[in-house]
Amino acid sequence: MALIAHLVCALSLVVAYVLQTTIVAQTPLVNGTADLILLFFAAWSLQERVYNSWLWAVIGGVLISLFSAMPFYMPLIGYLGVVGIAKLLQRRVWQAPILAMFIATLLATLLQQFLYVVALQVAGAPIAWGQALDAVIFPSVLLNLIFALPMFALVNDLVGRMYPLEVEA
Amino acid sequence: MKFLNGKNVQTIVIVAVVAGLLFLALSGYLTPVFNLTLNPLVSFESWLSVRYLSARDFLTAPRDVTQLREQNAILESQVTQLQTQLIQMEERLGEAQICFALLDFGRTNPQYEYVTATVIGREISPFLQYIIIDKGSDDGLQYGMPVVTQEGLVGRVDAVIAAASRVKLITDSTSVVNVLLQTAEIEAQLNGSLTGDLSLDMIPLDETVEPGDVVLTSGLGGNYPPNIFVGQVLSVQMRDNALFQTASVQPIVDFNSINAVLVITNFEAVDITPLIPE
Repeated sequence: MALIAHLVCALSLVVAYVLQTTIVAQTPLVNGTADLILLFFAAWSLQERVYNSWLWAVIGGVLISLFSAMPFYMPLIGYLGVVGIAKLLQRRVWQAPILAMFIATLLATLLQQFLYVVALQVAGAPIAWGQALDAVIFPSVLLNLIFALPMFALVNDLVGRMYPLEVEA
Repeated sequence: MKFLNGKNVQTIVIVAVVAGLLFLALSGYLTPVFNLTLNPLVSFESWLSVRYLSARDFLTAPRDVTQLREQNAILESQVTQLQTQLIQMEERLGEAQICFALLDFGRTNPQYEYVTATVIGREISPFLQYIIIDKGSDDGLQYGMPVVTQEGLVGRVDAVIAAASRVKLITDSTSVVNVLLQTAEIEAQLNGSLTGDLSLDMIPLDETVEPGDVVLTSGLGGNYPPNIFVGQVLSVQMRDNALFQTASVQPIVDFNSINAVLVITNFEAVDITPLIPE
């Protein structure tokens, strides 16, 4: 079962990355875009029966950091932050997973974008906070919140099929 | 008198009545009577006929509906096939038009060698303006090679793997291109931004820059070849106490809809970083 979980997670990440670079990144709202990989990690980590989210956050984060132009392995740090927030919420808001998904998406997106802006500023990019908030961060948060529910439903269904609940006789 | 017996008289009367009726009918005197008697009959006939045909249609309908549905399904599948073919043809036409346009650019700039590449993706972070193309080191691409379209400058190769490359667009916030304003013959710096807008900086205060002035690469700095079209000046801003003028530039390339690019492979970018004093 663990092998299937790893396989499903890897395939889902590949699909999310391809969709992200080919479609989602080309359909911005102002200058912000949704982040399917972040949403996948948030939804995956909120599942009670899934135990490999930290491992895949590291693997996925490293690979995406290698492909991305973002400096200092920021995608890796961002995705680890997403998993951390989701795991934290999973323990506290476990009775309302959809609410946890929304909160995780909001906090994780803000954290990730904050890290990106800081990293780019350190790398020498002339990015103003006001412009970053208006043009990128707020639109990205909005898009991520819109996509959070379908992503959670999808991942929930996927995990439900992988780990069917045992029915008592 | 034997001829006028009862039976013959009856026959003669009948013949006379029939002949009279025929005469009256042919002469039109019986039309109102016919109308009066036939109209209800015709109405009843039509009423009955309509009901009968409806009932017959209803009873025979299932077979016809099945046939029609089959025919409809066949036609729908044919329509779908034709639509698919149409879309494919339109895609090929679009690709051909792009290839012809790129070819035109190559013909007008024969001093360069080009590799044509298709845009297959974009950078994952919205803060960065990069595209990913489907040609890499296997096709001879190297770091720093300029990337253009038939319209003008796109950017330069930023990272290369065997089968793909990442191209930094000139609209990226960390991008700086040395340019020349063609009309005024002024050199300036073209900067990208977070929102993808382009702006000119380092324009001396005593120079006159007009909206509509053409912006070309100057070749200074060794990152890009000279005289590649970049865009046109949109507006000029002059602030009090500023050392230089700035200007907004409308890029000639629509960066949101780039499908294919040309990578100039015989231009060697010069890294002058060690020469810049810290």
